[in-house]
Amino acid sequence: MTHIETELFGVAFWSMLETIQMAFIGTIVGVAIAFPLSILSARNLNSKYVYGPVRAILAAIRTFPSILWAMLFVIMVGLGTFAGVLAIIMYTVGFVAKLQYEVIETIDSDPMDAVSSIGVSKWQLIRYVVFPESASHFLSQMLYMFDYNVRQSSILGIVGAGGIGFYIIKHIEFFEYGKATVFMIVVLITVLIIDWGSVKIRDKYIIKSQHGMEVTAK
Amino acid sequence: MTASSSFSEISTKKIIQMNDVSTSYDSKNYALHGINLSIDKGTNYAIVGPSGSGKSTLLKLMNGMMTPSKGTIKIDYQTPNMNNKKFKIMMHKIGYIPQSLGLIKNISVLENTMIGALPRLGIIQSFLKNFPEEEINEAKRILKLVGLSGKEERKAYMLSGGEKRRVAIARALMQKPTILLADEIVSELDHVTAREIMNLIADAQKQMNLTAIMVHHDMQLALEYANRVAVVKEGQKVLEIGVEGDSIVDFQTGDLTTEEIMEMYSDESKK
Repeated sequence: MTHIETELFGVAFWSMLETIQMAFIGTIVGVAIAFPLSILSARNLNSKYVYGPVRAILAAIRTFPSILWAMLFVIMVGLGTFAGVLAIIMYTVGFVAKLQYEVIETIDSDPMDAVSSIGVSKWQLIRYVVFPESASHFLSQMLYMFDYNVRQSSILGIVGAGGIGFYIIKHIEFFEYGKATVFMIVVLITVLIIDWGSVKIRDKYIIKSQHGMEVTAK
Repeated sequence: MTASSSFSEISTKKIIQMNDVSTSYDSKNYALHGINLSIDKGTNYAIVGPSGSGKSTLLKLMNGMMTPSKGTIKIDYQTPNMNNKKFKIMMHKIGYIPQSLGLIKNISVLENTMIGALPRLGIIQSFLKNFPEEEINEAKRILKLVGLSGKEERKAYMLSGGEKRRVAIARALMQKPTILLADEIVSELDHVTAREIMNLIADAQKQMNLTAIMVHHDMQLALEYANRVAVVKEGQKVLEIGVEGDSIVDFQTGDLTTEEIMEMYSDESKK
């Protein structure tokens, strides 16, 4: 029977922290790039000459899964967490921009019409209608991507892009399943904690603003 | 007829003119057909008709949100079209309250009201929501006027139906408008609240010498508050009534009593 090597929990904790850092930075930077791109991709705000090319670029970015982006960046910038962060950014940009432009396109046309009828500029329309009407969805997507990116970051180490995945693949290759199990337990606990935190944030900030009601956390 | 609904100082300048205006969804189905309207500056004009008669389309033609497929429209000598730069500047002074009100639910009452002032603000100023002190004071004054003093920081989704209508009116008044277009804004309200909102608009109209064009479903309400009432049915104007004090004049068929007009409208609605 495989013995779980509990003394490795310290190493696992610090490598998990590195993974979370990668996911956090990747998510924040990716989302910051994705938001303006989502505005340029929305059909109800732009002409086809603007949204067409931007959507094509986003589709090209989404073609590769994050593990392929990681392999590409490992070749370009070398082994380590930086390649992992770049891969997460690319993946986040492709997906969040798509999800967000779909949200923008489904914004109720009544506030858009009411504010447009005043003769405001497009930037004012974005600031006063698009931002507040899509903010809760945007926060929701950000949480989802962070959750997803933590899981993704855990395996990017397989191709040498840093994080806890590096240790998991190393121990599996050497048939050290007891050691690999320790790292996998840490990943599981982290994902459960993040999932729990996401639910709390959604209840407090997102459901309330989407439905105009308070949700009592149980 | 209430005191607030009488307007003595009315200019004869034609601020809105529609000649033979038609709009169609396709070559066979017309939303409006051969509409002629001439509205004097300062008039309280009501458009009444059953659901689907084209009342809201008329308003959207007046603020440039829609363009006619046939005929001409002039708003203060300008053709309403969002691509017309001169008209776009004029849009700053046309307050429009859609039936759904068009409020931004996740922002405060004050911010919703400040939207009316956006054409007067610079890009950076409006982006950072760095509103000038005098504009904030003006918004607070208008909110007090519409009875929302003390609720400036409340989010729009927290308000009652009547309060939401007051915010939409405040947003329109914040534009310092010359024309106010309102689409059935009291149709879902109880009798008392509906009169409160109508009195509010009538008072604002009197103070600001506004031209108000209001779409109603309720003929009684239209006769109570308007100087002129157009009845629209199946995309056509079937009647236009001038209201002077307590008497009603049908310019097409001669003098009619209020009861006769009501009876006619009632018959039109049933068809």
